[in-house]
Amino acid sequence: MSFQETAGPGGAGRAETEARVLGEVTEDLREVIGEEYVIDMDITLETTFSQDLELESIEFVALADRLRERYGEAVDFVGFLAKMDVDQVINMRVGEVVRFIVDSLPAPATAGSA
Amino acid sequence: MSRVLFVVPPLTGHVNPAVGIAGELADRGHDVAVAGHAGVIGGLVPPGLPLLALPETLSEDDRADIVARSRALRGPASLKFLWEDFLLPLAAAMAPAVDAAVDEFRPDLLVIDQQAVGAAMVARRRRLHWATLATTSAEFDNPYGVLAGLGQWVADLLRDFQLAQGVPAGEAAAGDLRFSDELTLVASVRELLRDPEVPSHVAFVGSAVGRRAQTAAFPWEWLDPDREAVLVSLGTVTREAGGRFLRAAAEGLLGLAGRAQTVVVAPPGLVDDLADAAPDDLLVAPFVPQVELMPKLSAVVCHAGNNTVCEALSRGVPLVVAPVRDDQPIIGEQIARSGAGLRIKFGRAGPAAVRAAVTALLDDPSHRQAAGRLREAFAAAGGVAAAADRLEKLAA
Repeated sequence: MSFQETAGPGGAGRAETEARVLGEVTEDLREVIGEEYVIDMDITLETTFSQDLELESIEFVALADRLRERYGEAVDFVGFLAKMDVDQVINMRVGEVVRFIVDSLPAPATAGSA
Repeated sequence: MSRVLFVVPPLTGHVNPAVGIAGELADRGHDVAVAGHAGVIGGLVPPGLPLLALPETLSEDDRADIVARSRALRGPASLKFLWEDFLLPLAAAMAPAVDAAVDEFRPDLLVIDQQAVGAAMVARRRRLHWATLATTSAEFDNPYGVLAGLGQWVADLLRDFQLAQGVPAGEAAAGDLRFSDELTLVASVRELLRDPEVPSHVAFVGSAVGRRAQTAAFPWEWLDPDREAVLVSLGTVTREAGGRFLRAAAEGLLGLAGRAQTVVVAPPGLVDDLADAAPDDLLVAPFVPQVELMPKLSAVVCHAGNNTVCEALSRGVPLVVAPVRDDQPIIGEQIARSGAGLRIKFGRAGPAAVRAAVTALLDDPSHRQAAGRLREAFAAAGGVAAAADRLEKLAA
C-alpha cells in the first residue's frame, strides 16, 4: 500500500502525523457531509470521495473552507484540487488528501521523515 | 411573423420548458416546430406543435443500458458519463439530422436546449441565429466550485467536438456550445444565484410552465381541507431508482398524518401497501397534475430537479430537497442558501430525517417567507411570455 511505501526511514513519525491528520480530515468530512449520514461509516485512507462518500462539488468547497481554517495557508487544498483532471477527481481517496496535507505542513510536524 | 425551430434532447425535463415557450410563440402567430426524438418526446409535444422527428440513434436496449449505468454514478463520475457516454454521442448523431431539419423548416431562429450541443454546433457552423434554452441555472452558479479541472474538461470536450465537426479553430475556441452569444434563456430566477449579476444577453425567465400535451387526473375531493398537504416527487428520471427514498419518505410522513396528508408520486407496487393501510393519509399515483396541485401544498419533497423546484417556488411552496446527481446538488444548494427549504441526503435519509425536515418547514415560518419572496421573483421574471418576448426581438 502506498501509505507504507511513502513512510520510508523515520516513517514512525510520519505515520503518527498521518494518523492525526486522518482524524482531523475525518472530523471535517463528517461535518461537511452531515454527522447523521456518516455515523456508521468508517473513513479510512482508502475511502473514495466519489464512490464511498458521494461528495459533490459544493461539498468540496465546504471541505476546502474547513481545511483552510484548520491548517492555514500552508495547505493549499484548492490549488491541489485545481490541478486534478476529471479521472483524478473521480478516483481520489482520503489518503491522497492526508498525504498532501502532511507534505504541506511546516517542517516540525513532519520531523523525522526522510 | 417568424419561423422558430426548437431542438430538444430526449429528456423529459428538458422538453416541457421548451414546449411551454414554443406554445407561447405559436399562440402569437409564429411558425414554430420542435425537433426531437419522437420515441421519447412525442407524447410531450402538444398536437398543435409540429414535431420534426430526429432519427432514433439509440435502441430501447441501449437507452435502458445508459439509464442503468448512470444510476450507479454520483458527482464527478456522473458528469463524465453524462458528457462522454450520452451527450457527445447524441450530439454527433444529431448533427446531420438537425442540418436536414434546418433545410426543411428554414427557421429564422433556432432555440436550442443547452444539452443539445449538436444542434448548437450546426447553428454556429451555418452562422444561423440561435438562442440557448437552459432548463437549469446550474451552469450560471459556479457548478464546478473548487474542482476547476472538471469545468475545463467539459469546455475542452466541446471545443474538440466542434473541431471534429469542421468548425474553424478560432470560432471553436471563442464560443461555448452551451451558451449562445446572442441570447440564453434560463428557466429560473437570478435571486437563486450566489452572484446574481449576469450579462444582458442572459435572460432569467422564471418558470417555463406553459402549454402541456397532457395533464394527469387527480382525486381533488381526497384532499382534507382541515389538514396540510405534502407532495413527494422525484420527477421523471429519478423515480424508478428512488424506491428506497420514496418508501422512507412515505413512512416518515405518515407520522405527520394528524396534521398533513401526503401525496407520493411513485410507480405501482412501491408504497401501495402503505397507502392501502392509511387511505385517508397517503395517496400514491404514478402521475399527478403537479402544476395544478402546487397551490394546495404546504411543502414539496423532491430531488431538486429544476422544473419541480421552479413550479414549487412559483407558488411560494417551500421544499425539502434530496439531490441525486447532475445539476441537482447545485439546485439543492440554491434552495438551502435561499432559506426556501432544507436539504437531506438522497442516498441515506430515513423516515425520521424526512419527517424532521418536513416538520421544520411546517413549523418554522421563515422557510415559507423565503419561498414567498422567491414567488415574487418568479412572477417578475415573466415566465413563457418573457421568454417569447426576448425570442421575438432576436428573430425580428
